[in-house]
Amino acid sequence: MRSRQRPLVAAAAALAVVTAPAACSNDDEGSASAGAVTITVMGQPAATNTAALELFQQQVEEFEAANPGIDIVGSDVPWDAKTFAARLAGGNAPTVIRVPLTEPPSLIERGQVADIAAEASELESFDELNPRVMEFLVRDDAVYGIPEKSYAFGLVYNRALFEQAGLDPDDPPATWDEVRAYAKQISDATGKTGFGEISTNNSGGWHLTGYTYTNGGTMIEQGGDGAWSASFDAEPARQVLEWWKQLRWEDDSLGDNVLGKQEDLLAEFTAGNVGMWISAPPDLYPNYVAAGGDPAVYGAAAMPQGGADATLAGATVLMVDAKASAEERAAAVKWIEFRALRPNYDPEVATEYAQASAEDGLPVGVPVLPIFSEERYATIQEAIAQYVNVPVENFASYVESLDRFTYVPEPTVASQEIYAALDPLVQSVLTDPDADIDALLADAEARVNTILEQAQG
Amino acid sequence: MTSAPTHVPAAAREAPGSAPVRRRAPGPRRASSQRRRSAASGLVFLLPALVLFGYFAWWPIGRSVVLAFQQTNLVDAPQWVGWQNFEQLFADPLLPTAALNTLWFAALSLLIGLPIPLAVAVVMSELRRGGALARVLAYLPVVIPPVVSVLLWKTFFNPGEQGVVNAALGVVGLGPYPWLQSPDLAMPSLVIVATWSGAGTAVLIYLAALTGVSTELYDAAELDGASVWRRVWHVTLPQLRGVILVLLLLQIIGALQVFTEPYVMTDGGPANATVTVLLMIYRYAFLFGNYGVATALSVLLAAGLVVVSAVYLRLTRAWSTS
Repeated sequence: MRSRQRPLVAAAAALAVVTAPAACSNDDEGSASAGAVTITVMGQPAATNTAALELFQQQVEEFEAANPGIDIVGSDVPWDAKTFAARLAGGNAPTVIRVPLTEPPSLIERGQVADIAAEASELESFDELNPRVMEFLVRDDAVYGIPEKSYAFGLVYNRALFEQAGLDPDDPPATWDEVRAYAKQISDATGKTGFGEISTNNSGGWHLTGYTYTNGGTMIEQGGDGAWSASFDAEPARQVLEWWKQLRWEDDSLGDNVLGKQEDLLAEFTAGNVGMWISAPPDLYPNYVAAGGDPAVYGAAAMPQGGADATLAGATVLMVDAKASAEERAAAVKWIEFRALRPNYDPEVATEYAQASAEDGLPVGVPVLPIFSEERYATIQEAIAQYVNVPVENFASYVESLDRFTYVPEPTVASQEIYAALDPLVQSVLTDPDADIDALLADAEARVNTILEQAQG
Repeated sequence: MTSAPTHVPAAAREAPGSAPVRRRAPGPRRASSQRRRSAASGLVFLLPALVLFGYFAWWPIGRSVVLAFQQTNLVDAPQWVGWQNFEQLFADPLLPTAALNTLWFAALSLLIGLPIPLAVAVVMSELRRGGALARVLAYLPVVIPPVVSVLLWKTFFNPGEQGVVNAALGVVGLGPYPWLQSPDLAMPSLVIVATWSGAGTAVLIYLAALTGVSTELYDAAELDGASVWRRVWHVTLPQLRGVILVLLLLQIIGALQVFTEPYVMTDGGPANATVTVLLMIYRYAFLFGNYGVATALSVLLAAGLVVVSAVYLRLTRAWSTS
């Protein structure tokens, strides 16, 4: 009998192995107390950032106490398109998704995020959200996200290298011609990279877009029939590429390493090897400080201009999984209000958070593009003034520009595909001294038009 | 195998109608029945592996083939789009570039990656002392996680004079070279990294195979006055041809699926010089969220690899030891 049963036992064991994960997941789903809604929220600080994590956990406890029917499960896994796709397919994507400024257009386009207009419009603070920021998240009356913070492109620079090169750190360059001159001076005087540039992982296309806006150009435009087509094979983008070529091959102020992404350049900048570069200064600052950068050396200036007084704007956005149920959606929006909106809206809460953050050594008072009205922003800044620990005077030029510039959103159709198609164009100019800019632009425009045709069906 | 019949499930042994046949069965039929029972028993033993493979390997493969003809956002039900994904793929001007780059990488990998481990293994097999240390040193790069070794090499290939590789070449008056920053040098740079990372495994396999080569053959060759080179050419290589052919096929398949090196080191740049087929699949799926086109390209790559393998096995059948 024993030998007869052995195969059956083996088969049963195999089945047990195969079905175990499914059984586990069922258990997980059933762990929430009856009637309660459990939502997974991104944005929990990493375990290494103990102070911020403690603050987050405290907020979760407060929120759950105030909303007995909702359980919050924090996730410290940052946004990652690879895992998101797999988790979405498996039905266990986070309910509240926290994404960087480049993602919302694609997520909205693919229908992977929920319309939360009904839930969001009930929030007291919703109507006061800055329309210039919300325009990126609203399509045909549908609301796809709420900004946690927003920012515009600006010039980030190393004040110490400015001084070493004999430049006044309180007088940063305002035009691309000035940036070129400053970069050459820094490079010649210090041997460091005068102006840093990035060109992989779609950052080349992203930067080309941002720079082209400052010259009055556009990347895509909508025809009378509503169809989008590429529009960058024109003078504004050509000027940007010529400018890069001059810095790289005439001035030698762009450094040797031009094939990196934002994280690479941030590391070099933090190490004091780069004079200037373009990024979102308020968004970068916490990472710069966390990586050991000296706050006093960090300078943030207005986006250099080529005549348009415009800059690319974006936001860190909180969105909701398209597969979330109505209850989960409602709970998610409540959490978003609690965690992201109140500290920017309610002076009392803002003061509480600022005090806790300052005590834990976290940056307080980084000047940002307000997600609410200017008046609200001023009220909040006044409330937290005593806890501000960021050298805000080093952001003066950047802050001053926020009112002055027009904010231009990223391409609303196929933004990632467009950036990917532009990366090789930027890389060609930066790695080949004989690159034919006109031919490259024409080729890239043809590629982007193909992408747009496919994206629009 | 004598106990095999006892493994037949009770249900099969006691099936109605089968017992009388079994009782009356003459010798050959009885043997055939035993074989059937043995096969059924084997199948039961195989079942766990079949279930696991089926669930985690064949089912996803089957799903990918279906997905290649669908459009999905992973939220709504997939839509059947026929050959549209393939049409979109073939309209992508990057596809020929990626295919050629992948073939270029494979060719360079074989050019460098085939002779080096073989030569190292032959030299190591001749070592009278320090063989164990040499084996450890040869295998060490394989133990280092690929992403770590690739990032290390990214630092080594720093285009400035302070880069490790450039500094070393500078000693003999060469360089500095732009390495990963140059469309011409980027791909050979990736091949160097891939070879460095993977050669250790091939060295160990060659070393194991070398122990199987009869020393009498070398003794006979030596008596005939054969030089070291002639002994390697006429004894070692013919004796290893079976292993060499298998490893060559595995290297071809591996090289055509190159991903980590271009993904981590160059992201396909500069100017698409290192975009490979797998990198395109990755971008379509995870950057553009176009899972249909991504799987269409995966299916094409898989089909291509099957054809390459079949042709290779056919061509090398005569040379194989088996």
